[in-house]
Amino acid sequence: MTPTRGLIAFGLWKPRTAVTVALFCLCTALMAYLRLHVFADRVITLTYGLPLLICLWYPSLALLWSLVAAFVAMSAYKAFVLLPPMDNTVNWLMQLTNILVVAAAVHVVLLTLRRLRAANAALEQSNQELIARDEEIGRQNEELHAQTEELAQQNEEINQQSEELQHQSEELQAQTEELQTLNAELGKRHDLLENLLRSLQDVSGGDSSPAQLCGPVLQLFRGVARAVAVVQQERDEIAVQALAGARELEAMRWPFSTSFARVAMEQDKVAGVADLALRPDFTLARPRHGAFRAVLAAPLHVGGKPAGVIEVYSEQPTSWTREQFQILEWAAAQCSLIMEVRRLHQQLVTANADLDRLVQARTSELQDLVTELEHFSYTITHDLRAPLRAMHGFAQFLEEETGPQLDEQSRGYLRRIAVAARRMDQLISDALSYSKAVRLELAMGPTDPAALLRGMIESYPAFQPPNAQIELAPELPRVVANEAALTQCFSNLLDNAVKFVPNGRKPHVRVRAEEHDSMVRFWFEDNGIGIPPDMRQRLFVMFQRLSKDYEGTGIGLALVRKVVERMGGNVGVESEPGVGSRFWVELKRSVN
Amino acid sequence: MTPSIPPVLYAEDEADDVFFMRAAFKRVGVEHHLEAVSDGEQAIGYLAGEGPYADRNQFPMPGLLLLDLNLPVRSGFEVLGWLRSQAHLGHLKVVVFSSSGRPEDRVRAAQLGATGYLLKPASGAEFADTARLLRERWLA
Repeated sequence: MTPTRGLIAFGLWKPRTAVTVALFCLCTALMAYLRLHVFADRVITLTYGLPLLICLWYPSLALLWSLVAAFVAMSAYKAFVLLPPMDNTVNWLMQLTNILVVAAAVHVVLLTLRRLRAANAALEQSNQELIARDEEIGRQNEELHAQTEELAQQNEEINQQSEELQHQSEELQAQTEELQTLNAELGKRHDLLENLLRSLQDVSGGDSSPAQLCGPVLQLFRGVARAVAVVQQERDEIAVQALAGARELEAMRWPFSTSFARVAMEQDKVAGVADLALRPDFTLARPRHGAFRAVLAAPLHVGGKPAGVIEVYSEQPTSWTREQFQILEWAAAQCSLIMEVRRLHQQLVTANADLDRLVQARTSELQDLVTELEHFSYTITHDLRAPLRAMHGFAQFLEEETGPQLDEQSRGYLRRIAVAARRMDQLISDALSYSKAVRLELAMGPTDPAALLRGMIESYPAFQPPNAQIELAPELPRVVANEAALTQCFSNLLDNAVKFVPNGRKPHVRVRAEEHDSMVRFWFEDNGIGIPPDMRQRLFVMFQRLSKDYEGTGIGLALVRKVVERMGGNVGVESEPGVGSRFWVELKRSVN
Repeated sequence: MTPSIPPVLYAEDEADDVFFMRAAFKRVGVEHHLEAVSDGEQAIGYLAGEGPYADRNQFPMPGLLLLDLNLPVRSGFEVLGWLRSQAHLGHLKVVVFSSSGRPEDRVRAAQLGATGYLLKPASGAEFADTARLLRERWLA
């Protein structure tokens, strides 16, 4: 502890009022005792300044100046009261000066002390703060350190990954190059196919497929081949049909028997010669300069038969690779395919034209036939009606004019003639309707069956009570049909339902509808005589009357079936003899 | 047979139908006499007053032509066509009487200037209805 520190340490005592007062009293008392009592008559060297030095120790300015005041008083008292009257003024003044100087010095020291104390305190605080900051910095430093280590680690990792990526990048590069090569290859093949397909679309010219083939094939063999030609056998020679590469070969011919093309055709597969110099038995096309040293040939087929050979010529001896064999085989196959397609297309076009002509001729024939039939049916019905009119008329006249004179039996005969004549007339009408229904176009559209049925029932007393009870179900969906035709069908069915009842039974008919898929089935359920199972087959056949007891021409149901079928529908029946029948008509549901 | 009432000319090839029409006229009490011709050429000849029909005393000009369509030599339609070309016969009423119910025949008859079109009944005895109709509508 340095002296300054020690001093400051002392100076750090905090003055307290009680202590101050106590010290004051003590010092004053002591000095008073000593100076005023013990040494009352003499001047002593015990200076008043000395006790003031206590204030250095006990830094109270209050104590200092109060002591000063007391000592000044004491010294004055002593100098002027106690001591024999001499000239003590100078002494006293010197004492006074002594006291004051010491006091002043102590005062200054005290003030300095105070300042030092404050500064010290401030420094201490700063020091504390600095220490704290230092610690924090130390901590942060540690943290940074740790993070730096982490970063270093990550950096290493990244470096590693970077290396890996580098590897992969190099790999990809290699693969990309490979793919590019393949792409180029595919591009050439694509060109070839495109050329061939274009030749297919060109129907005006002849078959230009071989010509379209040569260019792209030459591309495929770029760098290896000098020329590509499609050659054909013409009698005992080989002729060039199409060419790419060496224009001068265009009009050339060479013998078939010694040609390499013959080999390819006979073996019917891709064949090649690596060095023609070793095979002098083959004659080949000769280019303007030099000669071809290697050839690769593939046969072309049309309709299963050989139709030529495609040859690739090289000026260098070439060991044709397996891949090259495959490429040429593929190219030849494509070309053969295209040529085959052309041939078949041509056949199709011709066949179609023939068919068209045939159809037109037949249609015209049929049209004539239909017109003839129509004319025939009208003529015959007209011709049949004339004698019928006569027979019916005369029978009626006989009955009217001679009836009263005849007996019951004869009158009966006449009546039966009339009945027969009416039946025949009805038959003729029905036959006419049937033939019309068969022939005519039926314009179809959305039809409301409920409306048709209601109209029918309202118009004919035979369908109304008390003659008959006809019940319509509330839901009768709209169907696609011809209104007039449908009316005729329903009319026939209702007629039958009402007519074919046993004696004494009132006809009761129920009409309802069933929907399934896109069809609607209308049921006509009656309480009539029913139909025996063995008769159901012949029910819808023309002119088949199954019951002799009831009037009818037997055409009605045949007409219904024909008409419904022509509207794209179907008919059928279920029945129980003696109980009733359920006729059904099925037609397509209408969407609106 | 009062000459003042013009007859009805019936062009019909079926003799029975002619018989029934005459009977019907009588039954219904039609005053007009019924003249019959059996083919289209005769019908034209009568109307034109040619050949045997030149004698208008014996064969007076009819007030109504009852025309079957199915006539031999010249058909009912041909007769109609000929009539249109005869300006002085434009006033003559022509009622087509046919067993054909074909709409196209009706239309064609109308187009050729027929005044009416009646369907032949199924029985000869029912010609009376036709006669009544004729009297009501066209025989004043």
